[in-house]
Formats: sequence, C-alpha cells, structure tokens
Amino acid sequence: MTDLLTYGFMQRALAASVMIGTLCAVVGVFVVLRGLAFVGAGTAHSAFAGVTLGYLVGINPMAMALVFGLGTIWIVQALNERSRTAFDVSVGIFYAASMALAIVFIGLMRTYNSEVYGYLFGSILSVTPSELWTIGLLSAVALTCLALFFKEFHFIAFDQEMAAASGIPATRLFFLLLNLVGLTIVIALKAVGALLVFALLIIPAAAAYQLASRLWTMILWAVGVGLTSTIGGLLLSYAFDLPSGATITLLATALFFLAVLASPKR
Amino acid sequence: MNSPAVTAEGTAPIITFQDASFAYNGTPALEALTFSIMPGEFLGIIGPNGSGKTTLLKALLGLIAPTAGRATIFDCTCHTLRCHHRAKIGYLPQRSQLDPRFPITVFETVLMGRYGALGLFHRPTAADRELAEAALHDVGLPELKDRPLGQLSGGQQQRVLIARALAQQPQVLLLDEPTTGVDAPTQTALLSLIRRLHQQRRLTVLFVTHDINVVSPVVDRLALLNRRLVAIGTPAEVLTKATLAAVYGEAVIVTSQGGGSYVIVADHHHD
Ligand SMILES: Nc1ncnc2c1ncn2[C@@H]1O[C@H](COP(=O)(O)OP(=O)(O)OP(=O)(O)O)[C@@H](O)[C@H]1O
Ligand SMILES: [Mg+2]
Repeated sequence: MTDLLTYGFMQRALAASVMIGTLCAVVGVFVVLRGLAFVGAGTAHSAFAGVTLGYLVGINPMAMALVFGLGTIWIVQALNERSRTAFDVSVGIFYAASMALAIVFIGLMRTYNSEVYGYLFGSILSVTPSELWTIGLLSAVALTCLALFFKEFHFIAFDQEMAAASGIPATRLFFLLLNLVGLTIVIALKAVGALLVFALLIIPAAAAYQLASRLWTMILWAVGVGLTSTIGGLLLSYAFDLPSGATITLLATALFFLAVLASPKR
Repeated sequence: MNSPAVTAEGTAPIITFQDASFAYNGTPALEALTFSIMPGEFLGIIGPNGSGKTTLLKALLGLIAPTAGRATIFDCTCHTLRCHHRAKIGYLPQRSQLDPRFPITVFETVLMGRYGALGLFHRPTAADRELAEAALHDVGLPELKDRPLGQLSGGQQQRVLIARALAQQPQVLLLDEPTTGVDAPTQTALLSLIRRLHQQRRLTVLFVTHDINVVSPVVDRLALLNRRLVAIGTPAEVLTKATLAAVYGEAVIVTSQGGGSYVIVADHHHD
C-alpha cells in the first residue's frame, strides 16, 4: 500500500482529496444550515455545461465552469431581486436548461471526448499538476473568505432577517456565501463529477448536523466525514477498480446513516 | 392626533412617520401614517391580526421601503439606514419557528447581539462577552448559558432573544409580541424588566402586543393600527368604546378599573 504513494497520480489524487474533502465539508455546513442544497446541485449542472462549451471551443474547461457556475448564481440572484422568483424555482430552471445546453454542446462535438465524461462522473485519479494548483489556490481563497466572515455567516444561517435588522450587511454577505458555494462546486467538479459533487457538499455536513450541537463541533465532524469519504473512497476505488466519484459518494452516504443511528438528537 | 408626547424640554422626535405608506408586492399594508415618537418614550402598539404592526417595525428597520411619504429614525431615512444605525436598534421578531437542532448555544445567541456593533472582521472581546452575560442575567437565564438553544422551551427562547436585543445596547427597542406564548409570571417579569430598562437607560420602546390590559398600565402612549393609524394617545384616550369598536367590532367591552381601562375583546373576528 505504501508504494502507492510513489505514484505521482496517486499523490495528486490524495492531495486533491484532502483539499476538496475539507472545503466541501466546511462550506457544506453553511449550505445545510441555510438550506442551500439545491443551489449546489443547480450550479454543478451549469458548471458542467461550461465544461462542455470549454471543450467545444477550446477554452480551459475549468475557467468556463467557473464562469457558468458563478454566472448562474448572479442571474438567479438578479431574478430573485427583480421578479421575486423563488430561489428554488429559478435554480431549477437553470438546472434543467444547463443540462440541455451541455447535451447540445456534446452533440456538436464531432468526436467522442472521454474527458468530458470525466467531468460528469468524476476522475480524481487523473487530476493534473496544474489542476491541483488551481484546486489549492481556489480552496485557499474560499476558506479565507469563510474564516473572515465566519461570525456573520453563522448569524445569517441562524436568521437572516434578524441579522439584517441588527446591523449585519446580510444581503451582500448571503450573496458572497452563494458565490462561495458556486466556487466550491467548480473546485470539486473534476474530482467528484458534476452528477455527484453536490453529494460531497451536503452529506458530510448533514451527518455532522446529526451529531453536533455547536457550530465548531459540527464543522469538525463534517471535515472528519468528508475526509474519510474522499480519502477512503479514493483508496477503495483504486483497490477494487471502482469509479472514484461513486465510491466516495457511497462511502459518505454510509457514514451519514451511521451518524443518524448514533445521533443524540433523536 | 399627530402631536408627540408632551415632554417639557422641546427635544426632537427620535422616530417620525410623514404620510408614510408601505406595501408588499403592490398590496398596501399600511397607509398614510403620520406620527412621531420622542426619545425615551414607551409606545404600545395594538391592532387586530394583519393590521400592520409587524410591518411598522420592519419599516423602521428599513427592511421595507415606503411606497409614499417618509419614515425616519435618528434623523436617517429608514430604508437607507446604515448598519451602524441598525446596530443601535434592538429588535425582537414576532415568534418565529427556530430550527430546534440549529447548532448554537444560548450564550452564542446572545453574543450575536454584539456583531452589528463589532462590524466585520472583528471578533467579540471580553467586554462584548460581559455585555452578553449581563443581558442573560437581566432576563433571568444565566444558568442556561451553555445549553443548546433548541433545548429550551418556547418562553425561554423568547427571553434569550430579548437578551440578544439587549446585548446590542440599543437606543430603541422594537418588540414584536414579546409576551405571546409566555407564562403569566414570566410575562410580568419581562414587562417589569423592559420597564426598568426603559427608565434606567431612557430607552425608547415600541411594544407590539395583543394583550391590551397588560401593557396599558405601563406605556406612555398607545397606537391603535388597522392598516392605518386609527388612534394614538394615552391609554385613557385610546381605550374608549367608540374608538375600539371601530376596529374590533361592537362586542368590545371597556370597563374602568382603579383609574385605568380594562378591555375585553370578544372572541369572534371581523376581518
Ligand atoms: N412578507 C409579506 N408578504 C406579503 N404580504 C405580507 C407580508 N407580511 C405581511 N403581509 C401583509 O401585510 C399586512 C400586515 O401584516 P403585518 O404582519 O404587519 O400584520 P400584524 O399586525 O403584525 O399582524 P399579526 O397580529 O397577525 O402579527 C397583512 O395583510 C399581511 O397579509
Ligand atoms: Mg405581527
């Protein structure tokens, strides 16, 4: 098992697992507490549409994923302000429309492109050094933002109107939180895949929600479950030659049910 | 009718409404409000369900903008209030359903009252913790400090949220039905606490309630709302059969008891 670590691809996969597992777990805590799970799912799909367009026209797919993922969030926010369309409804429209766009873009490609499917189903073992750097850099940005506005995000998740009423710039910070969710999705997209990335965002936090009655303990539990899932899933998928994204998701799901059984809140 | 409470020194009002109207998605909720509130005044706000009491408080916090007219607090237009102004307004929202499993302790909840004054990027200091402790003490719950908020009863949670508003060290306290769903001894304790703070700190208090008889002995003035300002004045002026019947229907009974009025609003509704 130790000689595994001498493989470059394995080192990169492990490093990516640690960063993505941690980031998704921490952001996921706020996603679960503020009820933003569907936003995560919606951005994952539009980010994937960005990836397919990137491959189609020959632009860096991760950059396009970022543009599409965050673009969706900006438009959803604008719709919410202008036309009072409920968040879930406008996210749902983007969810479907961007999947349709992705299918059109794939159809326009003349040849079969296996890398596109890598983004759909996740391929943590094929993370390249430059992708790893991007993951590391963007994760640092996202975690720094979370740390800077930690107390405000806690308040907003608790009660956004009360936060706004007591002098927190709640609307702007909520928008920042949405952008951090989008960023996190894009960071994890390649490793876990557009179909499953949202599982990694909510399952560790949902498991932690069962176990913790303080924010810090919830974050620690979420990171524990997240890292166990990503690293454990990676090793299992390598050992048994299973698809990595699916293995990670199934492991996280199993841990979630363990947490439900162990929950003191029941 | 729109004359502020008579205070000897001609100080300026802390809150004014000038022909202000508010609406949700084009449906009017409050129309043509004109009145003002002096610093240090204790105003009770009464009115039937849907009469716009909560809307009035939200308007003061700038959470909704007027569709006509003007609302001001501390000489600022309400809907352009900056965060540091809001930090001086303590707000107890009408009983909302808190997620009983939200990961937060009683003390953390109260400490959140300091966040507005602290501003971004600053962590609570020892002084902030002391203020939170003192507020928790004021509402009589210091021993529950480290309990998860969700494990408290509804009335205890209400007191924690009042402590959160007090920890803000507000100049104006907006309370939306603070005594609803609270047992009688706690109701009395809360009311005397708010009265004491009002007197000690010259706090301006707006107290929304359905318990007319509980607040009328305590307040300086009462405002009766019904999508507009029906009446404002001392309890004796407002709590008359003629005024109340126009809002609550003919079944209202007003009796005199030891100098004050006692109001019985019949059960059936006129909406
Ligand atoms: N968020 C909202 N969106 C749309 N309409 C609203 C909203 N909040 C209140 N309203 C409407 O505005 C009117 C006034 O509501 P408000 O909540 O101010 O009444 P209230 O006097 O506080 O009533 P209650 O005694 O039931 O608390 C009502 O007709 C209500 O239906
Ligand atoms: Mg109300």
